[in-house]
Amino acid sequence: MAASAPSQVYSAPGRRLSLTERLRLGLNNGRISATLILLPPALILFTLFVMLPLGESFYYSFFNWNGYGVPTDFVGLQNYQRIADHSVFHVAVGNTVKIVAVSLFLQMPLALLLALLIYRKTPTNAFFRLVFFLPYILAEVAAGLIWSFVFDGNYGVSASLAQSLGTEPFFILADRDWAFVAVMTVIVWKYFGFHMMIYIAALQGVPEDLVEAARIEGAKRPQIVRYVLVPQIKPAIIVSAFFAIIGALQVFDLIIPLTNGGPSNQTHTIVTYLYTFGLTRLNIGFGSAVGVILFIVAITVAVFYQRFFMKRGQS
Amino acid sequence: MAEVRLQNVNKSFGNVTVIPDLNLTVPDGSFTVLVGPSGCGKSTLLRTIAGLEMPTSGQVLIGGEDVTLQEPSNRGISMVFQSYALYPHMTVEQNIDFGLRLAKIPAAERKERVAEAARILALQDHLDRRPGQLSGGQRQRVAIGRSIVRHPKVFLFDEPLSNLDAALRTQMRVELAQLHQSIDATMIYVTHDQVEAMTLADQIVVMNAGRIEQVGPPMELYEAPQTEFVASFIGSPKMNLLPGSAIARDDVRTVGIRPEHILVDRTGGDWAARTQVVETLGADTIAYMVADGLGDVTVRLPGHVRLKAGEQLYLTPERQNLHLFGQDGRRMKEAA
Ligand SMILES: Nc1ncnc2c1ncn2[C@@H]1O[C@H](COP(=O)(O)OP(=O)(O)OP(=O)(O)O)[C@@H](O)[C@H]1O
Ligand SMILES: [Mg+2]
Repeated sequence: MAASAPSQVYSAPGRRLSLTERLRLGLNNGRISATLILLPPALILFTLFVMLPLGESFYYSFFNWNGYGVPTDFVGLQNYQRIADHSVFHVAVGNTVKIVAVSLFLQMPLALLLALLIYRKTPTNAFFRLVFFLPYILAEVAAGLIWSFVFDGNYGVSASLAQSLGTEPFFILADRDWAFVAVMTVIVWKYFGFHMMIYIAALQGVPEDLVEAARIEGAKRPQIVRYVLVPQIKPAIIVSAFFAIIGALQVFDLIIPLTNGGPSNQTHTIVTYLYTFGLTRLNIGFGSAVGVILFIVAITVAVFYQRFFMKRGQS
Repeated sequence: MAEVRLQNVNKSFGNVTVIPDLNLTVPDGSFTVLVGPSGCGKSTLLRTIAGLEMPTSGQVLIGGEDVTLQEPSNRGISMVFQSYALYPHMTVEQNIDFGLRLAKIPAAERKERVAEAARILALQDHLDRRPGQLSGGQRQRVAIGRSIVRHPKVFLFDEPLSNLDAALRTQMRVELAQLHQSIDATMIYVTHDQVEAMTLADQIVVMNAGRIEQVGPPMELYEAPQTEFVASFIGSPKMNLLPGSAIARDDVRTVGIRPEHILVDRTGGDWAARTQVVETLGADTIAYMVADGLGDVTVRLPGHVRLKAGEQLYLTPERQNLHLFGQDGRRMKEAA
């Protein structure tokens, strides 16, 4: 091979060119100018609305501060200490874990079951799809109000039910043991349609041939679901589980109209806890600390989930 | 081994009738090929035999047994789809094994059957791969492997080779013919491809708009097409269909003559014609001409014949190879 071959200018095929080489050869295809033009707006917005508030919360979480003026009363880790010792926070964390569990093990299977029943494109199925999706479209606060009326033992649906059954009216949202069960029921009702839609979209993408081939091979419906449909929509299930977990960590606006965290602080989630004990009581420093904890939990879950599930699902 | 019989089968989707009334017998152990234009109902017919579609009326019999109401898996059939329909999340081995596992066949026997299929189809080295890591031809073999391990009585193929390139198609065609010889089951095969139909079939079924135009061995369809449709459909290049006036017969609506049955002369003949386009294929030369007062005529000549576009020539059809079709479009009994 002659060292003076003209191809030397462009370097041997297969070797990756360095950035400076590419720049010199004009091989960046306008990617660099595109980056320079398109990146700053996103970067600025992200910094303004995500990074700055986050940094601020982190800073405030070390102060005893009511939100007015400049924080001066530095208390170190005291806010975190108080949270760690607060029994209501323990209940809130427990409740959040319960919501995650119910979302994963009750809501998702329910959504999958319904999706399997109605994923094919027929007019009846379109109707049921709409009906099941309606709760998701409804504003959280409205949903909370509707259900607080349903559960109301004096005037609500449960009152009429108790009357027609001839039993004593039951105030489930005021019951220490059962209030959170009611809350979780509403959560499942509100969000299963979202997961169902993800599954329906994925199921519609499964080639009908695969199902027919399985039928010919002798697979019955449950086996088709188990061996063909579910493996085929696994990426969608992984994504929906991710939304379920992250969503469960953030449940807030359903609970405020339903129970407002009561009775005796039994139905708080991490976010309603933050709202009640941080914001409404003007403990901005304390609330910020809760926010920081929540953020760390969420980011940890997200990173681990991506690492262990999403990657494998894609390959 | 089993004969497949369709009796008065009608298939409609809503108020669209795809197959009006069809009767067909596929003999035990035969290789029967269904051909016909796109949308004529070949796939629908095959799926009806498979049990993936329920006939609107009529019966499907396999091995003398009425299976019209049976599930696909109880009919003793297997099907190879045009798309192969392999399970992407399973390995080749699991794909082939799937039906056996569902049928709860003992592991030892399953292993044996999968190994045998892998040997027949030369898939031994690929058993641990997933379909996404295979070439088109290999996927095709896996799909066939999946159907042979179940030892079905009837194999159904819906255009199994149409996604392959020409060379691979030829190779797989030979392999399918060998497979049919070695396992000796009934095979029903849908294709668009003339060559596949002529080379693979013991019996060709020509369909048109949900009806059967003609059933018979390949050479019979080639030599004595019963309708104008079959005449135009079987053979490549297509048979020339000319008005009866070409041979001065009023009672003949259409006269057919294959491109290989026309003599060409520079000095004299029955029809004067001008050459439009000449295709030199090596073994053959195909000339597309326009005959005076008759229209387009295609002629097939030996490869060594050299023709130029625009050349004025005379064509003479071979008398004994004329096909005459009457006013009803059907073949006339008498010879020309
Ligand atoms: N599920 C269905 N619903 C309504 N019409 C259908 C359905 N399946 C097939 N058809 C119609 O039946 C006719 C025959 O279809 P079929 O798939 O059997 O044709 P084909 O001969 O296999 O064609 P091709 O060679 O293009 O595969 C077509 O007109 C098609 O539109
Ligand atoms: Mg078809």
